[in-house]
Order: sequence, then C-alpha cells, then structure tokens
Amino acid sequence: MTLDAYRLTAEPAYHPGGAEIALYEAAYQARLPVMLKGPTGCGKTRFVEHMAWRLQRPLVTVSCHEDMTASDLVGRYLLGPEGTHWQDGPLTLAVRHGGICYLDEIVEARQDTTVIIHALTDDRRILPLEKTGELVTSHPDFQLVISYNPGYQSVLKNLKESTKQRFCALDFDYPAPAVEARIVASQSGLSEAEAARLVRIAERTRNLRGQGLDEGASTRMLVHAGRLMRTGLELEAACAFALITPLTDDGAMRSALTAAVDACR
Amino acid sequence: MPAAEHRIAAPVTPELRAAFPGPLLDRFLAAEARLSGAGYGPAVPRGFRRAAMRVAEALGPEAGLELARDASRMAIRLRPRTAALYLDTAAAVAPRLDMAGFELWRGLHLDLLRPAPEAVQPLLETALRLLDRLTPGALAEFIRTGLLLTEGDARGRVAFFRLETPAARQALARQAGDIGFHALEAELKAFHTALWGQVPLLREAAEEARQSSFSDNQIRLPASYPDYRGQERRIARAALAHVGAHQTHGGERFALAQLKPMHVAVISLIEDARVETLALRELPGLRRLWSPFHRCAPEGAATAPSLFERLARALFDPEFPRRHGWIAKGAALFDAHRDRLEDPAISRRMGNLLANDLGQTRVQFNFRDHLVRPVYRDDNLGLWELPDDPDATPETANSAPSEGRRRVSGAAKQPRIGGGDLTGPESAPAAQAQRPRRLAVLHLPEFDHVAGIERPDWVQAHLYDPVLGDPLYLDALRQRHAATLARLKATIAAAQLGRLRRLKRQAEGERLDLDAAIDAAIALRARRMPDHRVYEGRTHAERSVAVHLLLDMSQSTGDAAAPGHSVLDLERDAAAILADAMARLDDRLAITGFSSDGREDLRLVPVKRFDMPFDLMTGMALAGLRHGYSTRLGAALRYAGRSLSAEPCHHRLVLVLSDGEPSDIDVREPGYLDADARRAVQQLRTRGIAVHCLALGGGHDRHHEDIFGSRGFTRIHELKTLPSMLSAVYLKMTG
Repeated sequence: MTLDAYRLTAEPAYHPGGAEIALYEAAYQARLPVMLKGPTGCGKTRFVEHMAWRLQRPLVTVSCHEDMTASDLVGRYLLGPEGTHWQDGPLTLAVRHGGICYLDEIVEARQDTTVIIHALTDDRRILPLEKTGELVTSHPDFQLVISYNPGYQSVLKNLKESTKQRFCALDFDYPAPAVEARIVASQSGLSEAEAARLVRIAERTRNLRGQGLDEGASTRMLVHAGRLMRTGLELEAACAFALITPLTDDGAMRSALTAAVDACR
Repeated sequence: MPAAEHRIAAPVTPELRAAFPGPLLDRFLAAEARLSGAGYGPAVPRGFRRAAMRVAEALGPEAGLELARDASRMAIRLRPRTAALYLDTAAAVAPRLDMAGFELWRGLHLDLLRPAPEAVQPLLETALRLLDRLTPGALAEFIRTGLLLTEGDARGRVAFFRLETPAARQALARQAGDIGFHALEAELKAFHTALWGQVPLLREAAEEARQSSFSDNQIRLPASYPDYRGQERRIARAALAHVGAHQTHGGERFALAQLKPMHVAVISLIEDARVETLALRELPGLRRLWSPFHRCAPEGAATAPSLFERLARALFDPEFPRRHGWIAKGAALFDAHRDRLEDPAISRRMGNLLANDLGQTRVQFNFRDHLVRPVYRDDNLGLWELPDDPDATPETANSAPSEGRRRVSGAAKQPRIGGGDLTGPESAPAAQAQRPRRLAVLHLPEFDHVAGIERPDWVQAHLYDPVLGDPLYLDALRQRHAATLARLKATIAAAQLGRLRRLKRQAEGERLDLDAAIDAAIALRARRMPDHRVYEGRTHAERSVAVHLLLDMSQSTGDAAAPGHSVLDLERDAAAILADAMARLDDRLAITGFSSDGREDLRLVPVKRFDMPFDLMTGMALAGLRHGYSTRLGAALRYAGRSLSAEPCHHRLVLVLSDGEPSDIDVREPGYLDADARRAVQQLRTRGIAVHCLALGGGHDRHHEDIFGSRGFTRIHELKTLPSMLSAVYLKMTG
C-alpha cells in the first residue's frame, strides 16, 4: 500500500507571512520534526498542506482528541474471517511509506499517547509496534509535524517537556492586516476594501482574547463571513452569523461585539 | 360610656358613615375609642380616622379597620409619632395598591418591629419614593437587601432606608430594574477592549456626577444620564468610545500654565474634535453612535454654552450650517489642519486663537457651571495637568465604604494592587480600628507529646466575624489574574466534557471492547486462556468533593513576598481563584483564616462556610483579612476536620496555606506544636480526611515533612506563582 491517496493534487493557496517556508524547507531537508504553534484558524493546517504540496510529499493528517489511544495512531489487530490481521494506523503508514504525518492539536491527545512519537523524533527515527513486536524504521522521506494552540494550554493539558524539546517550532499568528485582507479577499472573492473592513472587525474581537473570549475571530471565520457577503448578505448580518454568534454565548459579550462591528463599518 | 364620650369629640360625618356603613361604623368608633383611650396622644386617633376612611374608600372598610391594630402595635413597640406617620403613609399608599399589595406593604413594616425596629421610621419617610419605583414585592426584596447589608449597624440602617447611602440607591435602582452602570459594566468593558485593545478600569462615578471622566488609569461613568432614561446603553457606549478616542489619540496632558478658564474650555473642545476625527478615520461607524447626541440648532443666542455646543457640532458634522462668524472661523481653521491632526499641540494653538477671539466679543463664560456638551463627552479634566491631584477628588467622593482605603498620593497613577489595602505599617492600625466581632467560642483538644496525652478542651477557639474589605476586590482580582482564571475555566470545562469515562476490559458492559475482544480471539487461536473481560462500559465520574481551606494569617504573612504584595495578599488571591474554580465544579468549599494568640485565643475567621455561595461577600471577607499573631496549626486543623466531618462527600480534604512552622507565644518547648499538628494530621487521615499543605517560600522542609509526611505537602518557592499553583494542586489532587 502506498500513500497515493494522500497526495495533494492542487496547490493549496498560502500567503507567507515571513520566512516560514524557507525555515520549513530547511527542517525538512534535515528531516527534523516541526511544531506549529498558534491560535485556531490562523493557517497552520493550510501551511502544512502547502508545504506537502511544495515538497511533493503525501500528507497524512490526524486530528487528535482526548479519547485517542496509541492504537489509533500506530494501528491495531483486526478480527477478520481468517483470524486477526494487522492494520497500520496513520502514523505507521506515513513512517513506512515516507509521508508527512501531521498531528493536529496534539495536546488534545492523552499524554501516554504522545510518548510513542519519542523514538521517531530523535535520530533513531524508529517506531516500535508493541503489539506485533516490529520495529519500523522510518522511510527517508518521513517527517513528523505537530500543531498546538498555546491558548488552550492549561495546567493539565500541556506538552511534556520531553516531547516539546524534540521539535523545531514555528510561531504562527494572524497575518498582518494588509496580508490578511489580501488572503480574505482572494479566498472569498470580496474586494480588498471590504476584506480590510472584515480584518478591522477581526482585530476588535482579537482585542478581547483572554478578556471574555478564548480566541478572537480567525482568518478562517473572516473568509466565511466574506463568502456570505458574496452571496448578498449585509456585513452586519454576515458578521453576526459567521463571527459573533459562533464566538460567544455570553449576552453582554455579543452585545459589545455587535457594537464594535457597528463602529467599524 | 367611652364611645359616647368620644362621639362628642369626633363627630360622625356623612363621609364616615359612607365609608363604614351599618354595623361597621360601630366597629370603627370602638377602634377609634380604644386608640384614644390608650394614651398615645391625639395624633394617633386623628390619623386613624383619616387613614381608615381613605383606605376604606380605596380597598374596603375591613382594610381600614385593620389599621387600628397596626397603629397600636407601632405605638407600643416604637413611638406614637411613628404610629401616626404609619397611618398617614398608609392613607397615601392605599390608593396606589390593590388589596394584596397593601397587605404585603403593611406586613413588611409590622414584620420589622421585632428584628429591626429602627428601620421602620425611615422606611415610612421614604415610602412614597420607594413605591414610585418599586412594586410591594420588589420593596420586600429591597428591605431584605438593606437588612443584610446593614446587619449590626443601626445608624447605617437608618441611613440606608432613608436612601442616604450609595448602597441604598444602588439597591433601589437594581430592584426598580433600571439599567444601571452595573448591569452594563461587563458589556461596556468588552466594548472598550474590543475597540481600543486596552482593558479599561471602569468605575461608577460619584452620585452627583453628570459627565464621564477619565484619568490615566480609570474611566468613571455617571450612574445614569437623567435626560436619557431608556437609552442608557447607547449613551454609555458613546461616552466610553469618546474617552477611548482620547486615550488612543491623545497626547501628554496639557500644561495649565496661566491659561484662562475660557481658553481651557475651548482648547478642550478642539481636542475633543481632534481625537474624534482621528478615531472616525479608523472606526467610521462611531459617527452613527455619536451623531444622535449632537442636537443643537445652527442658530441660537451668542452665549458661551450655545456657541461651544454649536462649534462642537460643526467640527463633528461638516454639513452643519456655520451661521455664526466665530463658528465659521473655528470650523475653517480646523478644516485647514485636517492633514495634521495627529499632533495634539494644534489643539492648543487653535484653541488659543479661538478663545482670544471669543474673549474680545465679551461673551460671558462661567467655568464653574460649565458642562461639556454634547452630553456623552467627558469633563475634560483628564486632558490637563492640574495642580492638585485631580483624581483624588472624584475618587474619594466615589469611594465605597471600605476600610483601609486611603488616599495615597500617586495611587491613582497605578492600578491598585492587593485587597483594598497596601501592606505596610498602616494596615495594622486599620485592623485594630475596626475590631472584628467574636461570634462563638469552641474548645479543641491538644496533644502533649512529652506527656503522651491528649488534653481535652485545651485550646479555646474563637470564631471572628470577618471584617469586610474592599467590595471591588473580586473585580480587581479578575483583572489581575484574567489569564489564570481563563485557563482554569478552560481546564474545568474540558474536565467536565471528559466526565463520561470509558471503562475498558470490563466483565460486563454495554458493548464489546474491541481491543479486548481481539486479544481474546488471538488468545483462543494461540490456544491460550482468553481473558473473559471483553466488554466496555461508560460511566459518569461523579465529583463529590469538600475542601476546607485554611489560610495562615500569622504575623509573618505580612512580609513582602513580591513587589507590593505580602504573603497574605498572595494567599488571598490564591484562595479567591480556588473558590472560583470550585464554584464552577460545584465542589463544596469552606475558607477559614487562622492565627493564634496563645491557647486561650485561637483566632478563626470563617471567610466562607460550606453553605455560603461564592460571591461578593466572600471577596469582601477575603479582602478584609489582616495578618497578626502566631500559628497554632494543630488546633486549626482540628477545627477544619470538625467542620468537614459534617460534609456528606466522598473526598474530604483540608488544604493548608502556611508560610512557616507552628509557633505560639505560650509555647517555649521546641517540637511541641509540631508534634501536636502531626497528631492532628494523623487523626484526620484515619477519619478519611486528606490533608495537604502548601508550604510557602523557602525554609526547611523538615517541619512540614514531619507534620504532613513527605508527600503531604508541596513547597512553593516562587511565591508569586501561588495563585495559579493552589488551584493546579487542587485539580491534580481531585482529578
């Protein structure tokens, strides 16, 4: 089995905000694992997709969740008509066949799950499969990428120091206003002036990060709002629908955000 | 025959006969005669006659007759004068109420006679004002609030029900359903933060304030704008956005130098227009927010207030006709500088020019009565470098009744830290000035390790009523520790989502555990004995936790731990954050501060009991804790254990925050109190109550290890991390 299904066929649009492409390419050349830090919806996943396409590597993405076990990553025995057989998990697939494995929101996974990547991320580059007794040596093209959102960071959910220190890290944040406006415009089809207004609104919500909102509006949300406006929705309605209502359930906060949107238009 | 005698004194008029027809008249006369003969003086029976007739007209004769009994109870328990006032007031309120409402109203006053007689007279004095705004049901709530707030303070109670205190007016506004500052505060704060990226310190301005005001660190909004009832939200937003424009686009404060009042006013006006113009470039929607308040007409008398208001409008609204020469000149001047508005100095230049012009026209200007218009703009005091600390005046006028709040020069320049008090030599006198009340005495045993016996009733513990501190303490805390609180909230939310636990490899359950089933199949094939536990179950992890948090408030906790914070300050913050987290988890929590002054006086301050909610009072009680005396740890542990024994929870935990080893003035022998504390810990543990200590600061682990066991304590070296660490330790311990 190869990873053909995981290859990207079209270029995922990505607007670089700094030197991240060069840095990532350097890390890939050295086959170093990379960690992407940043708030939700600021383009981490899109960046990995873009890099996989650039490097012509298949990309295996796993969204981590708290019920995820090690088996969900490395694989498990299945019961078939002929007895049991081993089924590689997504991580093992990427390791064997030389893909980029992207573990999205790694802190969501239980800590005992994350330690299985340790042997992969130092110079051993091996994945021990406990159940089969196999020691899978990484394909030369294999690379591990993880992302995590420091905003969620809490006393209980944090990367272990021993995990953290195995990675090179790229800090992501929302793009600079002009860049973000260009992204929103190109992704939604709005004019740049309208997109810039959406970005201004987003900045208002981001001011409330940690002051009532866990996160401000992401670039993704702005693109959604922009697409809604392309269908003919007014700015106010689009913002209420795509930004404010998803962001918060708190009445006072919604009211304040609505007023802030109003101040921007 | 007394009734006949009385008939001569007070004749039966046709109105009286109409109000009390037939046999009711006799009952009325009998009641009146009883009041006359009771020696209350003439005012009471006279008042009764008037009131009974009015009430009978409004609500029927029975209601009127009832007043006689009310009046004598009032006269007996209070004074005849109060009874007369009651009757007059009843006559006035009856026409406004229905029968049920009137009975409730009467009952409210009669019920006060025993528990709070001093409240009756002032309540009657303000009855009409109160009923203007409150239903009888809301009045009952208002009275209840008043009694709670003024518990043990008769003079304060009278002032409250006379509506003389800010707390009373606030309670009245709240019960009346006004959208006051407090209802809008959270929203306004978010609005300001969203617009300008700075978290404002919002305060309600002093009662008489009619305009917003700001200083370097604080924004004060009036409690209400009288002419704008019903538009509270709009005007508060407009005012706040204006102040935000100042804070974002304003420069240094202007020097007052030798400027005349007129110049100050005009320069301020230009500055207002300048910052608004700049803000509008970024946030064009603010125009819609502000424009409804620019209401003046293009024509008007050539007085200073009218000219100022028109110029303000002309600078805001380019379409506004500039009929007056001075306004035309001002607007043209401003337009000519539109590309250089970033420089605050041009406000001063333009303002000076315009004020000179106006001065030559001999327009009269009265600075004292000057109100900046339109109404949403601030009083401009924040723009000027004033000789005396300008913040002091409104701040002190505005200050809530909190002990330990002092005028510290320069204090307004920086956000206040700590619980309403800065630690220092002055806090001790403050604590003594307001000596806390002792609530109860209880006796606790103590262990003498030399004799090897436990002495029953050896320590006398006193529960002290918490001294209430800064009411804004929790607000300030939420600002200081916003990040920690948000993180805890997220953690707890995640923990609650994850409450549904998957139980793997169960002997019975709802479905097959795939991994276990496969292992079993493999084992069967391999001819080994399979594990029969192949099911998977799901369960809710029930939380059943009660915690008693002990705060060491001995003398040494007054030491500085971080710049501007004492150890006790950090304990206080940690306790508040833990209480917040536990309230979210629905875990039960009690907080007690402890210190000791010999075995005769173990001083316990119950900040929060298990059955009290975590609210403003908890915050005030925490803020009111003062350091002093020694640490008799064992006795405090026993007290905590005693209170926990009554809690029906699976996990019971005593958490101790302490900065040193046990000590007390009457104990010379080293190790005595350590041994006693160790014994107390062991006793609690055998009763299934866990004990954990957070040892604060450096120091020898030996004592703590001795008392709590090597895993029974956590040392916090970096004291400033305590507020977040306490909750982290707690969450780890309770999973």
